[in-house]
Amino acid sequence: MHTLSASQQVLIFAWWFALGVSVLIYIALDGADLGAGIFSLFVRDHDERGAIMAAMAGTWDANETWLIVAGGILFGTFPYVYGSAFNYLMVPLAFVLWGIMARAVALEFRHLASPFWQRFSDGVFGVASLTVTFFGGMSVGAVLHGYPMTEEAGRVPTYVGGAFAFITPFSIWVGIASTIAMTLAGLLFVRARFEKDEPIRQDAAKWTATIFYLAIAAVAVTTAWSALIFPWAANRWFGPGIWIWGILFIVSLFAIIQMRRATHQDRDLAAVLWFNGAAVIMGLGMLATMFPYLIPGTWTIWDAASPEVSITTFTLTMGGFIPVMIMYNAYQIWVFRARVTKLAAHAH
Amino acid sequence: MNAADLSTLISRIDFAWITTFHIIYPPLTIGLAMLLFFAEWRWVRSKDEGWYRLCRFFERLFIVNFGAGVATGVTMEMAFGILYGPFSQAAGPFFGQVLGYETITAFMYEAGFIGLMIFGWGRISQRMHLFATANVAISSTLSAMWILCANSWMQSPTGVELRDGVFHVVDWGEAILNPHFLTAFPHMLIAAVELSICFVAAVSAWFLLKRRHVALFQRALKYSILSLIFVAAVQVWVGDELGQTVAETQPAALAAMEGHYETHNPDGSVNSSWNVIGWPNADNDGMGWSIAIPHVLSLLETHSWDGAVQGLNEFDQQDRPPIAATFYSFRVMVAIGGVLLLLALWGAWLAARGRLSVERVTENTWFLKAVVVAGVLPYLAIWTGWWTREIARQPWVVYGLMRTEDGVSHMSPELAIFWFVGFAIFEIGVTLGTIHFLAKICRHGPDVNSPVAFDPHDNDGMAPAGQADHTAAQTA
Repeated sequence: MHTLSASQQVLIFAWWFALGVSVLIYIALDGADLGAGIFSLFVRDHDERGAIMAAMAGTWDANETWLIVAGGILFGTFPYVYGSAFNYLMVPLAFVLWGIMARAVALEFRHLASPFWQRFSDGVFGVASLTVTFFGGMSVGAVLHGYPMTEEAGRVPTYVGGAFAFITPFSIWVGIASTIAMTLAGLLFVRARFEKDEPIRQDAAKWTATIFYLAIAAVAVTTAWSALIFPWAANRWFGPGIWIWGILFIVSLFAIIQMRRATHQDRDLAAVLWFNGAAVIMGLGMLATMFPYLIPGTWTIWDAASPEVSITTFTLTMGGFIPVMIMYNAYQIWVFRARVTKLAAHAH
Repeated sequence: MNAADLSTLISRIDFAWITTFHIIYPPLTIGLAMLLFFAEWRWVRSKDEGWYRLCRFFERLFIVNFGAGVATGVTMEMAFGILYGPFSQAAGPFFGQVLGYETITAFMYEAGFIGLMIFGWGRISQRMHLFATANVAISSTLSAMWILCANSWMQSPTGVELRDGVFHVVDWGEAILNPHFLTAFPHMLIAAVELSICFVAAVSAWFLLKRRHVALFQRALKYSILSLIFVAAVQVWVGDELGQTVAETQPAALAAMEGHYETHNPDGSVNSSWNVIGWPNADNDGMGWSIAIPHVLSLLETHSWDGAVQGLNEFDQQDRPPIAATFYSFRVMVAIGGVLLLLALWGAWLAARGRLSVERVTENTWFLKAVVVAGVLPYLAIWTGWWTREIARQPWVVYGLMRTEDGVSHMSPELAIFWFVGFAIFEIGVTLGTIHFLAKICRHGPDVNSPVAFDPHDNDGMAPAGQADHTAAQTA
């Protein structure tokens, strides 16, 4: 379609990495908020549900900003993927967007509402969290399949499949697996953010073991299923580089075991960090498995990149704004790190 | 109408809907951030507690509005790809980058300082807080700048070359500083300020009608009405400038806005008649009926008595935008601009006669009622203004280069309707929630009792001397 200079190739590679990192940071940070939202569906106490929402009041929007950043990088640097993948994922993304919208409103307006509407907003918050997680996961699963595109001379290939092509057994499964994994993140979040003797924290602790083993099973099934149906995954994992993937496997296994030990010993922050560590390793592993494809079998990162990638924009973003944002995000999480009680529901 | 045309039409409506329900919020965020900065600056400078109370009260309204803006705005970023995939791909190298700049230089920047502004009272120094508020105003303005840059480029796509179905940027300067951007951005920015002034004025007038916190809201009303004189007048002038830009770059769009079909009259003279109101005929080759005034069109568009303005009949039917929608939304916007200027002059006249003083301001019942009602007018003006702009660009998505039907995503009419219904439900929900909570905060009124958030560096953790007395005096 167009030729790229060597420096553009380096930039594209760096942008691809930045895109992956933004998505993974988003999953690590907002995943906990989403999971806590799913958990809140099972919390019967009105104030406890309010406290879950209050516990993320100061940070949830900054966490979601990473999704916006990922979207910005995708549109700015990989417009051909942005325009075709979102067309393919039109239906699941509609659900994700409705969920995000409903969650934002529930979070922002709950403290202003009367008790009846608070209960309503709690329900909206829980269901919306579940919706975002499930359809978000399903979108990821659907993307791994790749999608059909037009082949017209002189025009950019665009998506040509149906609106429901995203529904496959595998994509549904990835939606379920994400829900399980995010619920675990949510449990760890609740354990880390509530005072140690709060009943809700003890409920969360009780559920941790079950969800933990379910999550392990979910990861195992997803990996095995991917190896079976995606030749690009099997070829890479069991090809000559098998020892690299073996090491990655052992490292993620180590992180998972450490997380389990931390939960046993009630070291909440360590558990959250090991969880995120495991998630990031597996996420980067998946990105590396797909490389050089951004969408397997459909778009390589070189074909998908805008011909206008430039060093100026990249330097501005990576050198200036991303570091500032990470510092700010970290500072914000630090400010709001204190454990809360269910009285936090009335703190506004 | 075949299925493809129907899908295109519905997906245009889809996008119009989500934009219409998003544009309600950002203008208030942008303008009110500036007004909050002004009030806070006056407080820091004069130590006058009234400014502080006003600032804190309007900040609460600001937060609700901001939350709704974020909730509806996340959709916008994704919607280009979902509803206009081929357009996003083709225009990505320019359009996507500009939206990326918006994400980075405005959205992230704003997210950082807004947290400090909301949660920072009493935790950071007064100067630092004022600095945070200033940055919220600057970052939201930058956001508007990039968005208007991207949209203006769709109106007047300069600096690019269409090769292999992709808009390659040949000159970044020309593409960013395209003709529309230079007039449309000021027009939108002033619209945001004008809307926020009217919002503050309307809320203040409501309190004055209820005779609550009269001293506090008299000040807010007086300042906003008096600044409106200047802002509303400048807006009329900038709007005229934008009209000139449209006339130069999009003659078909301008002709549609004015319902102007024939460049020349049958006798060969220039058709300079301006249609006040009217309706196009069924063949779309002339106005079925209209009330027209000679020479006004030439005066408006060419600033001369007999300047020729290209009429719609010089364009193929398939290259014309829808006439009636463009014609009327343009008229509603212009009329509101005029009404707001008149309202400001009414206020100025009252002020000159000393009738906006604390003692007498509540006597002006009719004026106050008019100001309350005028609170919705700028919203309507921004809606109709955007409808004019976007509908008049049709049938192009990138003016003159890419047709809307070539830019729209592949989807069935059913799917486009599914999108519409879903977003209609959610966005109406967000809007009703926002209105409900804004009203609730207003009913509750400003907090004039809790101690002023003081500067943590100015003292040893004690409230500043005399603060308790001051608060008591204000309450009384």
